[in-house]
Amino acid sequence: MKLLTHNMLTSKCMKAVTVGYPLAINASDVRVSEVDFNPDFIAKIIPKVDWAVLWNAAESIGQLEGLPKEIVENYENDQDFLKKAHHVLLEVDVINGELICPETGRKFPINNGIPNLLLNEDEV
Amino acid sequence: MPFLKNLGVEFAVEIGSGSGVVITALASFLACACFATDINPEACQATAETAVLNGRKVDCVNMDLLGAFRNRLFDVLLFNPPYVVTDPCEVVGNGLNRAWAGGFHGRQVTDKVLSTLDLLLSEKGVCYMVLLKENNIQEIQRFMNENNFKSDVILERKLRGEHLYVVKFSRIL
Repeated sequence: MKLLTHNMLTSKCMKAVTVGYPLAINASDVRVSEVDFNPDFIAKIIPKVDWAVLWNAAESIGQLEGLPKEIVENYENDQDFLKKAHHVLLEVDVINGELICPETGRKFPINNGIPNLLLNEDEV
Repeated sequence: MPFLKNLGVEFAVEIGSGSGVVITALASFLACACFATDINPEACQATAETAVLNGRKVDCVNMDLLGAFRNRLFDVLLFNPPYVVTDPCEVVGNGLNRAWAGGFHGRQVTDKVLSTLDLLLSEKGVCYMVLLKENNIQEIQRFMNENNFKSDVILERKLRGEHLYVVKFSRIL
């Protein structure tokens, strides 16, 4: 699970949950692998990312690597910033661990890089 | 395909990605972030492996439809749903039956996605869905029109025992 994906996931489908966002991450195995850097693409997706959630997620698993706490001005032309964003969004993979619902504490396992957000019938 | 290139896709997703060939092919074609979901954990694993074997990046999540994703994220949504007309009681669990069992009119799962399409797609988002003649395409088109979506049949294929369509849904602007 990439941190970009984490940025998009919620537990809102659970019946007792109102927002369900952001999910906390408890990572036991994190892998970093190189992904081709496409600055235009990163610049385009930054407005779609909840930056505070991304920053907190990266910090919680020790993968900040100098990522600024806030989006910098003129980020479209800031290669250094875009590279850092690229790294945190796309190169960091949580392989094993769990996601935790902020409202109920329900844990969703991450195995082999795949989060399991399936719910039991009585949770929907 | 030129349409998708021009759309400026940032996020694409496939529901029920199964083996992963479709979303991997899309990932080869578009420079966007590709996601996949499947209700079957083994299918999720297969999707992830197919993407890796083809040198593509697809992030797969085990969930029912897109229930665990934030609203209005996706610019492209692909779905080859369980469209086969079956007894509604077959539409249960996370097993292989979920790959085909469509319940009443084969529409039980399809309708769930189409009735929430507004919350799944981004402003410019489009959805491509495989449908069966028995699903009653005209009725689906009428319903989607009432919900401000236009539907275009972009492919039609008659196979032995199956008359299939690919329908593209997009917002009426």
